[in-house]
Amino acid sequence: MTRPQRPHRRKIRYVTPRLQGGAALLFTAVIAAGGIAFGALAGKVLRRMLLSAAVRGHYPMRSAFEIVRDPLAGHLAALFAGTFLPAAALFLFLAWSARRGIDRVGQALRASADRDLSTPTGVRGCAEIPRLGELVDGARAETLASLRSIRSEAENLAGDGVPAEEFRLRWDALKQRIRGIAP
Amino acid sequence: MNGTARTTDSGGPIGHRYILGILLRLLINFALGVGVLYAILFFVLSKPLAGEYAAVYHQLRGLAAYMRPVVTVSVLAYALLASLSTAALCVYILHRVAGPLYRMERVLEEFRSGAATRPVSFRHGDQAGQLAEAFNTWVGALRQDRGRFLARMEEAERLCLVDEATCRAEMEKALRQVAEELARYR
Repeated sequence: MTRPQRPHRRKIRYVTPRLQGGAALLFTAVIAAGGIAFGALAGKVLRRMLLSAAVRGHYPMRSAFEIVRDPLAGHLAALFAGTFLPAAALFLFLAWSARRGIDRVGQALRASADRDLSTPTGVRGCAEIPRLGELVDGARAETLASLRSIRSEAENLAGDGVPAEEFRLRWDALKQRIRGIAP
Repeated sequence: MNGTARTTDSGGPIGHRYILGILLRLLINFALGVGVLYAILFFVLSKPLAGEYAAVYHQLRGLAAYMRPVVTVSVLAYALLASLSTAALCVYILHRVAGPLYRMERVLEEFRSGAATRPVSFRHGDQAGQLAEAFNTWVGALRQDRGRFLARMEEAERLCLVDEATCRAEMEKALRQVAEELARYR
């Protein structure tokens, strides 16, 4: 018997503009800032070096590149360091912030398994994590409200004075509500 | 309901190896960008200076006059290339974090809407696996409690076959036990 073929599903890579798009924009801003600084500084220095070489009157070099090679290399090294280091720092900050947020959401969910549904996740930060924290808090709060309402109904029903017919109806309704916990 | 999430290399929500991998890719990306900028400027400035003093003088003066636009255009090319490759990197690498977060959001929305919730599992290599594990544990605990409450109530219902008074007393006892258990939720 041949195994049924699983339908081919396209991998979705671009999942959320807030996280992936936000990070891409931040890195682009770092690259743009580095490029502007390089353009302003290197343009001026290289131009001055070429003019200075032109008036020197003795030309041992074979091309203009030989005149500007050393300062150009220095400026490019500065551009590399000036863009990579802030981008790395930015990425590490984002990763730290995401790790902390995911940790807090995980802790809140684990606390929920121990029946603590009221301590908020308290997630702050950028991108998608605070939204997830709000959703988790919302789900826990709604579950707690539902459980409290079931408890209140169980207590009322357990008290004296409910006629037998009404008791049976409310008993069945309560069972139905309990079946609705985490369906 | 068992946790189907995979732990990351560090045991944390986002693995150290994953972070180092991105940093390495960023390093290569930025280095390539600077390399391209170097190549453009080398290509423009490496033309041999031909002729005698006057010719070289004019060539150098001409190059100096064009230096600013040359640098501007090269920097634009560098910025475009580096930005595009970094954006692609963000999309292709960060989906390992963005995907699980998006999936958790969808699952939580489903849970809040009252729809049946299935165990959450992430793709191979996804980060933040502890979220799925913790959520599955929570839903599992809720379902265990639900099962216990219903079992207690059904047990009381079975005693209704004995006589009316016992039935009512057992049902009220079951209700008090359920309420007591529910009081542990805070």
